[in-house]
Amino acid sequence: MKINFDKANITMSISIAIVCVILVSVSLVQFKTVEQVNETDIETMRDEELREQISLWKSKWEEANEKLEETNSKINEYNEKLESNEEASELLDEELRKSQLILGTTDVVGDGVVITLTDTEESPIEAADLVDLINELRFAGAEAISINGVRIVNMTDIVDIDSYIIIKPSQRLVSPYVVKAIGNQTYLVSTLCLKNSGFVDKYNNSGKSVKLDKQRNIKIPKYSGTMNIKYMKEVTDK
Amino acid sequence: MNKKEIAIALGIMCMILTLILVIQIRTTNSANQIVKQTFSSNNLRDQVLKWKERYDYTYSELELAEKKIEIVRQKASENTEGSTEKEEELKKNNILIGLTDVSGEGVIVTLKDNPNVSLDSTILDPSMVIVHFGDILGIVNELKNAGAEAISINDQRVVSTTSITCEGNVINVNGEKISSPFVIKAIGSSIYMHSALTRPGGTIENLNQYIQASVKQSNNITIKKYTGIINPKYMKYAE
Repeated sequence: MKINFDKANITMSISIAIVCVILVSVSLVQFKTVEQVNETDIETMRDEELREQISLWKSKWEEANEKLEETNSKINEYNEKLESNEEASELLDEELRKSQLILGTTDVVGDGVVITLTDTEESPIEAADLVDLINELRFAGAEAISINGVRIVNMTDIVDIDSYIIIKPSQRLVSPYVVKAIGNQTYLVSTLCLKNSGFVDKYNNSGKSVKLDKQRNIKIPKYSGTMNIKYMKEVTDK
Repeated sequence: MNKKEIAIALGIMCMILTLILVIQIRTTNSANQIVKQTFSSNNLRDQVLKWKERYDYTYSELELAEKKIEIVRQKASENTEGSTEKEEELKKNNILIGLTDVSGEGVIVTLKDNPNVSLDSTILDPSMVIVHFGDILGIVNELKNAGAEAISINDQRVVSTTSITCEGNVINVNGEKISSPFVIKAIGSSIYMHSALTRPGGTIENLNQYIQASVKQSNNITIKKYTGIINPKYMKYAE
């Protein structure tokens, strides 16, 4: 009887030990599963990033392709004029006008947004605020920008001098600063009006006064200064 | 009694074995999913490369076409009176817009994240010793003020549509990611730009409290052209 009882005891303890081992391995397997599930999460995130990249390169290609077709058709037009010995001045005018449009030496109209920044008692608008705004507008795809009727071109700088905001060609700006921008209204509004982190909320929360309005047919005047090239030279051979 | 105990023990073991089986099946399933995922992301990666290749090809075609158009334009304007001036103006406009490689005297500004912050320094927040997009924006504005004619940031040409933004901890210029060290090249009066940046209490001195900033004058700087496309869609000529 006594030996029998011992035997039963041994079987019991062995089966318990086995159960313990199995439980441990089950938990290990479970840990592994959880880890793998996490990896799957990262994997899907990467997929999204990849999709973003595809749409980026696709739109870049579309733009390049459009420009290529345009350039090729212009080459053909020039060639036709050359063959028939006609004047090519119209074509040249067209190209020149497009370059002036991009450069900012023509008056332009289009839909866009008007942002009004006003000095308040506690925090006046500084040059850096306007630099920040112009950077945001360019990010949102603005094609033409002006501040208080002064056209902003590529090399325009905005600085504080003696509590005035100065903009080239040496013009003094005073509050209210009316910033006009032509571009895709939806992009412009959604970028600048992002809740909390967008330009309008960010500046209003920090005690500055910023107001944004959509507007159709905004007129932006041409750059009134002259653009001279003094230091840079075109590099022709590659 | 004995038999009963063994039966119970066996029963428990069977249950646990089934459990393991079920878990294993589930594990294999999720592992399969991962294989599928990598397959699909490989597919996506292929597509990214495909579109990039298509873009590169079209862009090189475009470059060729632009060289060609310059030749025919020149020929065509030889036939027409008064066209040479227009052609010259067009060339000048393209240089000003940033569509050509240019060279000349100027300065090279280098901004680096600060690697050696000592324990006794007054800086407590590590994000202060990193170059921020605002620092670059400030330098670019300062260079424009000092009369820069052409500027590039890590070889990204600054044109009228250029924005400098940050997304998480990367800085984007012209939609391209760039990282430290940031090399800002500017063509213009090197003496004037250098003194504007290095004056006491100026931008470089301020930045050097946190990050590593330096300016170098140079007689011959080459700045690459803008590699994107500027094609206005929303603004029209005002008549």
